[in-house]
Amino acid sequence: MKKYISISAFLALVLTGCSQKTVEIETTTTTPIDEQSSGGTEYTQRETTTTDITDNIITEVDLSQESRDLNSQEISDKDNIKSVFFDFDQFSIRADMQEIVVNNTNIFKEENNANYTIKIEGNCDEWGTDEYNYALGLKRAKSVKDSLVITGIDASRVDLVSYGESNPTCQNHSRDCWAQNRRVDFKLIP
Amino acid sequence: MIKKISLIVLFAIFSYGVDATIEVVKKFKNLPIITIEDGSIGENSFHKSEKLYKILIGDFKVSSHFRVHNSNKYMRSDFESDPKFIEYKNSNVDLVLKYQTKLEPNNSLEVVTKLYDINTNELVYQKSYNTTKSEKFPFISHKIAIDVNKYLNAPSIDWMQKFIIFARYVNKKESEILISDYTLTYQKVIIKGGLNIFPKWASDKQEEFYYTSYLEKPTLFKLNIYNGKREKITQSDGMLVCSDVTDNGDKMLLTMAPEGQPDIYLFDVNTKRKTRITKYKGIDVNANFLEDGNKIAFVSDRLGYPNIFAKEIGSSAVEQLVYHGKNNNSCSSYKNYIVYTSRERESEFNGKMFNLYLISTQSDFIRRLTTIGVNQFPKFSKDGESILFIKHYQNESALGIIRINYNKSYLFPLRVGKLQSIDW
Repeated sequence: MKKYISISAFLALVLTGCSQKTVEIETTTTTPIDEQSSGGTEYTQRETTTTDITDNIITEVDLSQESRDLNSQEISDKDNIKSVFFDFDQFSIRADMQEIVVNNTNIFKEENNANYTIKIEGNCDEWGTDEYNYALGLKRAKSVKDSLVITGIDASRVDLVSYGESNPTCQNHSRDCWAQNRRVDFKLIP
Repeated sequence: MIKKISLIVLFAIFSYGVDATIEVVKKFKNLPIITIEDGSIGENSFHKSEKLYKILIGDFKVSSHFRVHNSNKYMRSDFESDPKFIEYKNSNVDLVLKYQTKLEPNNSLEVVTKLYDINTNELVYQKSYNTTKSEKFPFISHKIAIDVNKYLNAPSIDWMQKFIIFARYVNKKESEILISDYTLTYQKVIIKGGLNIFPKWASDKQEEFYYTSYLEKPTLFKLNIYNGKREKITQSDGMLVCSDVTDNGDKMLLTMAPEGQPDIYLFDVNTKRKTRITKYKGIDVNANFLEDGNKIAFVSDRLGYPNIFAKEIGSSAVEQLVYHGKNNNSCSSYKNYIVYTSRERESEFNGKMFNLYLISTQSDFIRRLTTIGVNQFPKFSKDGESILFIKHYQNESALGIIRINYNKSYLFPLRVGKLQSIDW
């Protein structure tokens, strides 16, 4: 009997303690205290730790001036030097582009252009992963260089670079636009 | 008796390779249900506390180790009070995560958390997270999720704490290099001005990275993101890309074009010695170390179209790895697995789809990982359990993450510019 009274008294003490707690959660109705009491309120707080998130990353490196200095070395394209266009995923020169290559070669051979370096820039459309596209653009540029060399241009006058898909002339998502971007451009460098 | 022992042994063998979630499921019978409550209050609370809440929900979902209770609601509560144990038990909620934010005038942010286990009525732990720059709050969210995940003893999601580094085109012949968290919520421009592309972490420490800068010639640099120190590594005519770096950072695979011919080179970081690995007169790019680093997987057009091959370093023999698709132009490797990009249709861009595929180099296993859009530039995580990739779809580019073992994929759109390349 004494045992049962002790247990009841203990329970009463616990229930009374619970009834003094209030919990508010915005999105639900308040739970009646007697429902909550059977959940128990004894906790074991196992650990308290602090974590710092690293913050000291540098501010940005601005290379705009470097880029402007490089671009200033290039003269603007001569209007009569035309770009050469390519089929999708191809780097061989199409038959209908041969005349353009020949005409450009003749311009490069002119006496007033003889001291310029010829920079051939390969470009791609937007399809394919960029690392492959940079290589494809470079192969296009090399194909054109090989054609120039065959027709008498000194190989040492020619520099090659690929811009992959970074230098589109148009940005519409259309077949005509993609065809315009699959190309090689020419720059004359003093 | 022997039959019983055999059955037990067979069961043990099959059990070893089963779903990665099995350890999580064991503890809670099903995937545990977690609910999050924001207890931030007062003028000092962080003004992006609700955004933090949403990122936390995303982190738990992306981990694939939790179900989130009431994930469409923003739940708030008193941080100092207990959760409603009975109500949550009736809703089968297993865990309650409460947090409280405090923003100081100097922009430092503290987030205090409490994790309750509803099944045992326990406050499991109380943890505090600090940063001197509040804009880095997404990393606090990721760390909170990582710690809750650790409480479950679930497979690691430590990758969530890693920086993503990426380049984006912002104009013709102009790009920027940024670091971000995996959701692209936090972004910081590291390099701007000119054409700087193909960033690649130099090691798992993520203190330095390699990138290609278009100067007079394409030039490979290494930059330290903490002290700004920039070191020139090498340069090449035509093009130059760092495709892969060994785990200890002592060797790299480069695509270079000394005479306008793109080939793969092995570069020793300490001796600066370059060894040409491929000699085919077409295109060889995008090399990845395989196995113990004595073999590579790479992309080549030696069959007339881009495809995936392997070769041992120092050997001339080349092995075709993929016998599917007609344009497989990018790959990444993890142990004996390769993920690659494949153009889906025979006709030129009808439907404009490039999908990711996963294969094993030691079996006929093949699995398609994506279904729509242009999916490119896949990168395995260090633990091989996730794949990072770029998706271009409907004039927008996005960072994608595939959780391989859970067959789930998540996308995080880039609002400014076009993704050029990524690494993690």
